[in-house]
Amino acid sequence: MTSPLVSIRGLEKRFDLSGSLLEQITFEGGRFRRKQEAVHAINGVDLEVQKGEALCVVGESGCGKSTVARTVMGLLSPSAGEIHYDGQRIDNLERKDSLPYRRKMQMIFQNPYASLNPRMTIQQTLEEPIRFHHPDWSQVQVRDKIHEVMHSVGIDPDWGSRFGHEFSGGQRQRIAIARALAVDPEFIVADEPISALDVSIQAQVLNLLMDAQESRGLTYLFITHDLAVVEHFGTRVAVMYLGRVCELADTKTLFSAPRHPYTQALLSAIPKLEDDRPNHIRLKGEVPTPVNLPSGCVFHGRCPYANERCRQEIPQLITTDGGTQVACHAVEEGRL
Amino acid sequence: MALLEVKDLDVRFAVRGGDLTALRGISFSLDKGERLGLVGESGAGKSVAAFSILNLIAQPGYIAGGQILFEGRDLAAMSERELRKIRGNRIAMIFQDPMMTLNPVLTIGTQMVEAILAHRKISKKEARAIALDRLQKVQIPSPEKRLDQYPHELSGGMRQRVIIAIALLLDPEIIIADEPTTALDVTIQAEIMDLLLNLCEQENVALMLITHDLGVVSQVTQRMLVMYSGRIIEQGPTREIINDAQHPYTQGLINALPQMGEPGERLFQIPGSMPSLKNVPAGCPFHPRCKFATEQCKQAMPEYVRSGNVNVACYEVANLIEQEKRMQEAES
Repeated sequence: MTSPLVSIRGLEKRFDLSGSLLEQITFEGGRFRRKQEAVHAINGVDLEVQKGEALCVVGESGCGKSTVARTVMGLLSPSAGEIHYDGQRIDNLERKDSLPYRRKMQMIFQNPYASLNPRMTIQQTLEEPIRFHHPDWSQVQVRDKIHEVMHSVGIDPDWGSRFGHEFSGGQRQRIAIARALAVDPEFIVADEPISALDVSIQAQVLNLLMDAQESRGLTYLFITHDLAVVEHFGTRVAVMYLGRVCELADTKTLFSAPRHPYTQALLSAIPKLEDDRPNHIRLKGEVPTPVNLPSGCVFHGRCPYANERCRQEIPQLITTDGGTQVACHAVEEGRL
Repeated sequence: MALLEVKDLDVRFAVRGGDLTALRGISFSLDKGERLGLVGESGAGKSVAAFSILNLIAQPGYIAGGQILFEGRDLAAMSERELRKIRGNRIAMIFQDPMMTLNPVLTIGTQMVEAILAHRKISKKEARAIALDRLQKVQIPSPEKRLDQYPHELSGGMRQRVIIAIALLLDPEIIIADEPTTALDVTIQAEIMDLLLNLCEQENVALMLITHDLGVVSQVTQRMLVMYSGRIIEQGPTREIINDAQHPYTQGLINALPQMGEPGERLFQIPGSMPSLKNVPAGCPFHPRCKFATEQCKQAMPEYVRSGNVNVACYEVANLIEQEKRMQEAES
């Protein structure tokens, strides 16, 4: 197997909630105590993205999928763990040394109403990253590049002098994609790129992303909560729950034979056109808060197969016969 | 007689430079205990249609024509005073964002009791008992405790359960639910939809479900209507439309779903996007995006034709039906 383009190793990310030292101090039972609290957004994630694939990360709100995306892009710094790009560790680079990687890695955000600067024309929006990464390019080179990317996303290059608000949601997302493509990246992190769009527009943007992948040989890390999109778009899928990967498999394998009880519940909850009634696997309770993580398997409180071991010991990802990697004691012990 | 019958409803928004037509010629009916889905993309007018039933459209919106008959009485012609007796009492609403619907500074119990006392002359204690009963019905864990909690103490899924409990407080005939699960995660969405469906069946309440999710519509509703640019372009039994959509827009909407495509292949896509209310094209509003569009489509809005049990507004479908008829006549 070739070396992965991006590898995430032992990634952890905590967000401190307790504020300054003074805010942490409380008076309890006649003594001063210092109380520290943190949101444990990611708790030990290992993922490898192979060149040319679309690795999808799915999960429900609060599972840490967006935090993974942002940490990979360097928008957040990891609390522990490493990010490697093409064999080089990139999470601890100096600003100057990280520049070439920032050109190779681009991001597309969820909300195209917030990700485009309202005071910049489309021309300016697209010009900025090109000029930043290619300060030596001539005016003509920059202009040609802008025309090329606008063409490739299906936006008329004559519209360059318009502002973001003059476009519809779908068109704005195309422009956001054009901005990412403008610096010829190799790797694109897309954080819920179609969730804010209407159904008919979702198909347009998804097609555009697939076309770009084919013509430019892109590699995607695709973050989404929409499993139907994953089944269509993803090469491999990682399912996350409370900051951990609970299952990782080829898309086809995952959808035909989900192993982890959470994945099974998640898949059964997708409303399908052929259904006459909701028929989903019922889970107990709700997702616990990532402030006080459950001991052992993070899913044990809602899992119908949980036993004493699940409450104590954190399950590690193991590879099953089908090639699926799954973190579940029940699967490991053959109970499931 | 249908429980609710909307006839030729027109809703307009009075803005500078003339009126914008948000709804044009909307007609549909809802029977007792029936579940009806309103489907469309943002801007299609599905929320305006639902809101106008209880005259909840804010200025500058107004009902410009048509009738909304609830048990034979026209809600559109009713005074605000009379309407208030029906709103929340006989017809209840569930909105998309439960945090926006609940008052953050009042406990769940206070809000529920307030809603009951607004319509019934009973004691606070009795009202509280009704509130508790409804919270039990929506399967909230430890319901007595919830009565004294504030909305922020509950999770999103739990809040939506409270909203459903509030909608059920006064045993309504109709519940209008506007994207009730859009803000929720898939597993929670499945539970809430399941709950809503079961309660409507148990209590024989009619449900009008507004959603953009065709999967949810097919799971929950018996009949559906598809809206585009303020018009109903197709309506009929849900199963019939999902399995064999007639209107090119409905077909496109269904075929554009990732679950309809071959994994890894390009998805079917409808070109362009829905026009804004300011420049709705003449004739059939879908014609600039439709591959079957002819000169005729640009001239006038097509009339409804019947195909099976489905009503469709499309010249292409009308022509096909016409052709079939002629062929059959020629054969016989």
